[in-house]
Amino acid sequence: MDDAVVVAALVLVAAAATAAVLQRDPARQAIVLSLLGLSLAALFTVLQAPDVGLAQLAVGSAVTPLMILLTVRKVRQRKGRPK
Amino acid sequence: MTRRARLWVLAAGLLAVAALYAAACTQLPGFGGSWHPYGDRAVRAALQQRTANAVSSVNFDLRGFDTLGEESVLFASVLGTVVLLRRTRDEKRVPPEPVRVPAPLRRYGRLMLPVTLLIGLYVIAHGQLSPGGGFQGGVVAATSLHLLYIAVDYPALERFRPLGLYELADGAGEAAYVLLGAAGLIAGSAYLANVLPPGTFNTLSSGGTVPLLNAAVGIEVTSAVVVLLAHFLAQALEIEGEREEGRST
Amino acid sequence: MNWWLAAACALVAGGLGPCLWGAARGTAGRRVVAQNMATLLLCLVFLLLAQGYGRPSYVDLALVVAVLGPAGTLVFTRLLGDEMEARPPGARLLTPAVLVGAPATVVPMCVATGPGRASVKLVFTGVLLIAGGAVTSRAVRRG
Repeated sequence: MDDAVVVAALVLVAAAATAAVLQRDPARQAIVLSLLGLSLAALFTVLQAPDVGLAQLAVGSAVTPLMILLTVRKVRQRKGRPK
Repeated sequence: MTRRARLWVLAAGLLAVAALYAAACTQLPGFGGSWHPYGDRAVRAALQQRTANAVSSVNFDLRGFDTLGEESVLFASVLGTVVLLRRTRDEKRVPPEPVRVPAPLRRYGRLMLPVTLLIGLYVIAHGQLSPGGGFQGGVVAATSLHLLYIAVDYPALERFRPLGLYELADGAGEAAYVLLGAAGLIAGSAYLANVLPPGTFNTLSSGGTVPLLNAAVGIEVTSAVVVLLAHFLAQALEIEGEREEGRST
Repeated sequence: MNWWLAAACALVAGGLGPCLWGAARGTAGRRVVAQNMATLLLCLVFLLLAQGYGRPSYVDLALVVAVLGPAGTLVFTRLLGDEMEARPPGARLLTPAVLVGAPATVVPMCVATGPGRASVKLVFTGVLLIAGGAVTSRAVRRG
């Protein structure tokens, strides 16, 4: 019955990845990617790989969204779009 | 070729791939068994070296050379980013606009910076005992510094972040890993061999060179992430080309 | 399969699933609220998994989520703040969720672990979770 948690985590990762791909706006995509990172961390942990889960968590919760959003901001500035 | 013909060829190809993939899947071993030939040997070797976290033992002891390569990948990519995002001649630096941040948020940022930093250092130091290690703890420690940006404001971060020192620390961490490997050569063994006494199982000083390599990787990753984010932040908030107008924080 | 793992499975399917739904559609404010709720639930999931698998070292994961999760939400409120509305839907669920969920997970775990350093770590994680939740729920509402 341990498999139930693994199956739940796998389905969540698949759904999150699909949702991330279907987002068109990069700023909104950053939010879904953050959730994908959290789901992956959960998946790695239930597959008994906590070191990998911790690495995914560390990178995906703050650093990656920050880089994506700063890049989006810079690109919008160059295009002259009002923020 | 018409579009319909292309789609038929695609369908045929996908069908063939699906059939081969299904046939291969029936031959896979069972999911999540309790025995794996490499896993058994790795865990036994890790316990022999008295390192409680077998993954850290594999990363820094049994396959330490691979980790040197991975660390160098991070180092090289940060180097490349620094070159790409440097301020060019037609860009100028402008001060970012001030932003109003509510007082409870500022207090939270200032309070959580040392707490998060300590948690990062804890994860680095306990890499040989519990899940974690140099990379994970290093990223947590780097994020702690950037709480000053997200919970206070950008000038506060700049005050506490002498960039030259972090660039120096990045190089020093990378060099420390390489030089620690040489200690194996000096002791008459192979490069990156674990030549320090293994210590008592499940204590902070166990594992020989594993905690030292963890510390080196921790320093390198923290500095690398700080330098990386510093250039992203500078480009997005401070640096203006001739075509841009208006900026924000 | 014990009760801890069952609770973790329920939180993943019934908690993180709706958070993903909220983060994938709707206004910017609603998405950031969903992300914040997801980090809170993930911390609770890690605590439950630590107890369910009998591996106290997994509490380190919960500790890291308790500090990095709010940091992630604050990144979004800082850089997407001007696109977020003042009172996003679901924001009023954040504070009750953390005030109920954190003690409801930490207290049974402390009882099961017994007094000692492990319990102190659990209580510390709970405190960090509540502090992070309080600050981010206010930050999200300000927009």
